Amino acid sequence: MKTKMTLKAVLSVALLMALAISVPATAAAQAAQTTQPERWLHVRVESVDGKGELVRVNMPLSLAEKLLPAVRNERLRDGKITINESRMNGVDLRAVLEAVRTTRDGEFVTVQSNDGEVRVAKKEGYLYVNARENKKDKNTQVEIKVPMTVVDALLSSGTNELDLVAAVRALGKHGDSELVVVKDNKNTVRVWLDSKNTSE
Amino acid sequence: MFGKVMLGVLGTTVLAGVFVAQQGLVRVRVVEHKEGGDRVNLYVPAAVIPVALKLAPEEKIREAIERAKEWLPAVRIASKELARLPDTELVEVRDHREHVRIRTRDGYLEIDVESDREDVQLSVPLKMIEKVAQELHARGPAS
Repeated sequence: MKTKMTLKAVLSVALLMALAISVPATAAAQAAQTTQPERWLHVRVESVDGKGELVRVNMPLSLAEKLLPAVRNERLRDGKITINESRMNGVDLRAVLEAVRTTRDGEFVTVQSNDGEVRVAKKEGYLYVNARENKKDKNTQVEIKVPMTVVDALLSSGTNELDLVAAVRALGKHGDSELVVVKDNKNTVRVWLDSKNTSE
Repeated sequence: MFGKVMLGVLGTTVLAGVFVAQQGLVRVRVVEHKEGGDRVNLYVPAAVIPVALKLAPEEKIREAIERAKEWLPAVRIASKELARLPDTELVEVRDHREHVRIRTRDGYLEIDVESDREDVQLSVPLKMIEKVAQELHARGPAS
């Protein structure tokens, strides 16, 4: 009789301890789900030539924001990328972005040729880059739309670097939007931002 | 006396079971598609891995740290963040020969590779990845 009572007591204690260990983890998981919705960056590359090739990437922006400072190599440090002008064919990328940032809305680059055309414009808080290439065996269309707040954030760091973490943070504050679309005869590439964790 | 010993064993077993269940399992499954090909199903309690790390030869650990040291902080942060986020398909790559999927599900990082030659499935608790990365980072040279 005494042994049965002790058995019950031990089992009760063991079950209580098991619950005590598992309940906080469940509560923490539920708390995480009730916070504000996560922003996701999606990349989808799909072949259009019937081979069924597909690449899909779903990246939470909060993860990118925390991961970038942890990556340290020659050019990327503390979430900032160092611009080496000598490696950019003499183009001062920072100066170009700064010029775009301070320019009024309008179309400021238009290149038209027989092979295609390139347009760069700034309108209602967005930078647009549209390019089209027409060749005998290849037609390519590129559409890029970047919020100007992201450009501002990129330039918010030192003089010879771009702040990627600040840019990701700024991107996260934007609503659902299509950032990049590239279409050619073989593939379609899409990069977009929303609050869903799937790219279906 | 015997009853008390049995109760002690039972209590310890229950607690150990709960601990192992909470820490999860590392699962590796390999199926070769050739005739007579291997089929491997490996289940290892995740709780064992950090202990094994402590017991592993220091030289081997140093080599592993040297190879991975640049990425250990990123791995630790990624596993911690992914554990916080809802289940998701992070990466999917499919062509006519292979189908690779990397996703998170129920606190696990799952990597599935299906190909003509073999199928490989790896499932690792995210908490374990974080712990291992933390342990290795702590044992590495001060940066």
